[in-house]
Amino acid sequence: MKSTWFEVARPQKIDLNDWSQHFRLVRDEQIKEFNYYHNPEWGIYLSPPATFMVYGARELKRLKFDNSLASLRMWGFVFNESERLFRAKQMGKRVIATMGDLGTVPVIIMAFPNCIPFYPECIWWTPFFKESTVLLDTATELGIPEAACFSKATLAAFHKKAYFPKPDLIFASTGASCDDYSCIMQLVNDLGYEMLWLEIPFRRHNDEQYPDRFEEYLISEYERVWNKMVELTVINDKTGLIPSIKKANRLRSLAERIKQLTYEAPITPLPALELMTIEFGNLYGYADLDEWLDIVEMINETVAKRVEKGIGVLKQNAIPIAWITPSADPLLLNLVEDCGLRIVGTEYVINQALVPIEENVEPFRALARSFMKASLIGSTQERIKRIIEGVKNERIKGVLVTNMLGCSHCAMETRLIEKMLSKVPVLSIDVPVPFGITEQLRTRIAAFAETLR
Amino acid sequence: MELIGYTCSYTPVELLAATGFKPYRLLHGNVGFITLGEKSVRVDACPLVKSNLGYIMANQKKFAAVVGSTGCDMARRMFDVLKELTNIPVYLFNNPRTDKPTIFYDEIDWLAGELECLSNKKINSEILGTEIDRWENARNRYRRLDQKRASNPSLISTADFHRAVMNYHKGEIGSAININENQSDKPRIYLLGSSIPYEANQILELLELDLAIVGDFNCGISRFLNINIKEKSLNGIKVAYYNQPPCIFKRPNQPFYEFIGTQIKELECKGIIAWTLDYCDSYEFELKRIGRIFELPVLRIRSDLSFQNLSQLKTRIGAFAEMLA
Repeated sequence: MKSTWFEVARPQKIDLNDWSQHFRLVRDEQIKEFNYYHNPEWGIYLSPPATFMVYGARELKRLKFDNSLASLRMWGFVFNESERLFRAKQMGKRVIATMGDLGTVPVIIMAFPNCIPFYPECIWWTPFFKESTVLLDTATELGIPEAACFSKATLAAFHKKAYFPKPDLIFASTGASCDDYSCIMQLVNDLGYEMLWLEIPFRRHNDEQYPDRFEEYLISEYERVWNKMVELTVINDKTGLIPSIKKANRLRSLAERIKQLTYEAPITPLPALELMTIEFGNLYGYADLDEWLDIVEMINETVAKRVEKGIGVLKQNAIPIAWITPSADPLLLNLVEDCGLRIVGTEYVINQALVPIEENVEPFRALARSFMKASLIGSTQERIKRIIEGVKNERIKGVLVTNMLGCSHCAMETRLIEKMLSKVPVLSIDVPVPFGITEQLRTRIAAFAETLR
Repeated sequence: MELIGYTCSYTPVELLAATGFKPYRLLHGNVGFITLGEKSVRVDACPLVKSNLGYIMANQKKFAAVVGSTGCDMARRMFDVLKELTNIPVYLFNNPRTDKPTIFYDEIDWLAGELECLSNKKINSEILGTEIDRWENARNRYRRLDQKRASNPSLISTADFHRAVMNYHKGEIGSAININENQSDKPRIYLLGSSIPYEANQILELLELDLAIVGDFNCGISRFLNINIKEKSLNGIKVAYYNQPPCIFKRPNQPFYEFIGTQIKELECKGIIAWTLDYCDSYEFELKRIGRIFELPVLRIRSDLSFQNLSQLKTRIGAFAEMLA
């Protein structure tokens, strides 16, 4: 059986050409086995990453990927999202844009049959994968300053109407979070897209036992989401929330398990790029939660096997670091590992999508409680609490902070983070525009690794 | 310690004053303070926030506490820095972006409780009533001035008005207000945008060499005049502060545009000056809309508060005035 190659191959990071060669070993039955929206006829997505490079994701030819079948499946699925969303619309599913809250509203949307939530802001990776500034330039033409979060690509995507279908509903969460995205959503609204605005609460500093009213605020917002969805679908069955929460929890626990296995293994079993993609999958399962769950299960098995065998993708002496604020440019994650570092902790501003949702309380209250753990609604100190703990117990030897020029929370938090983590070296870098990674930046990362070594 | 600093137009000064400390609006725009602030935040932070931070760090002993809201993200996160680097008590209340009065009212109740603990003083309705009278009287005095500024022709300059309102913002509401009338027949314009710091008076002077600023929507100039407390109680304070003309960061921000549109019409303005500080998302993202919605010529002035480009600016302002005349 040809596909046994995947079982015997030594774990490693491989490039596009290698993947194209190995893909020949994938059996036809295997390709048909994986499909989105449970449709084997047109829902097939397993393909070599080169396919997506040909369709415009030019950076793929410079990236290195994990060589497992599970990772191949993951990339095929992730890059297929745009097609999937358009297909969903074609087949009569409701496509719902959830913006700004990063992780909670989709759990409500998924309680409704045939409703697909997605995060338009996840388009922020697109300019980097495509090595194109088209979306960013368009955003500038539409009024967004050059120095702003790369999520400004979202506005351009709404304007161009080509990256995802017109959503049936838009939920826009704003409040005690970053300014950039709130302003972007306002401009999307101004393009003529109607949206239901939702309030994100503020978690006051040192307020571990926040007042009950904070939960009540959120619950009333979730009721508004529910009512709007009922209006759209003419379905009003709150029992649907229970399986939806259970699924979200299954995904969250799997992602956490993969992260822990990867962080704690003597040899890193899965690269940082794949790990980041898994972490962000918690937000909405890349618009097909069932299939994504299956993929993550498969990755979990792969990682567990590798750990059991004591094999992995990086050298054993790779130095453990933490990463704060996600990078819009995936290549940076490759670069860091190429310099002999490994990621053993992250704070990617999506803590609310990682924590378990309580299953023994009323669903909206459970969702509210999980959201109250969100990264950006509290203080910087709370945000990096886990990283500080990792530094204290010497699990983390250094910290990399990625910033975006002009981004409201980066500008205010980074120096503070450096101070709070002063016991270990901290490298703070600005993510350059697409195709903008220079030798100077590579040298800075290499020097950081050298300092740690 | 005599001051209680605050950073946002939604902060009720009457409540702060009830503690016995003097409310002091943090509106600094000085390069020296900016440099000091840049030791604790990145260079791409808002210059007003950096400067305020620098000012507080340099004058820590003056402050009994600092109060702010979640309004602007950078101003909000300044409180994390203060918490970490100083011993000044800080209080940050949630100013909801969407129309959620309950949240605001609950937060003001919370703030009142915290301020009682800070000052070791019961903030009862009698104290609040006195403070409401004092501050409302002060606002009335400034309203009379504002009417002269808004009259056609304008009788006082905004630069003079700004110098006068600094006393209000610094808590010196008993000070005498002396402004000489100086009629202006220059093109009438409306000023909006980021805060006008104390040290930015020179920008107003520069603008008024060729123009007459007859109305504004900027923290630091006349926004406080929109506060009109009708009921002498904490509830009256909540209602007045919550229902002021909305800040541009409120979502959706259509009511902001409606308010400004009405102002511009009433004041018979021929153009708009959009003043933005570097990295002020709330206004910089909206500049195109401002031009489109009001259908008036807009002069955009972006500043890092270093005031190094005054000559170039003078030429731009002159050209703008020529276009309006």
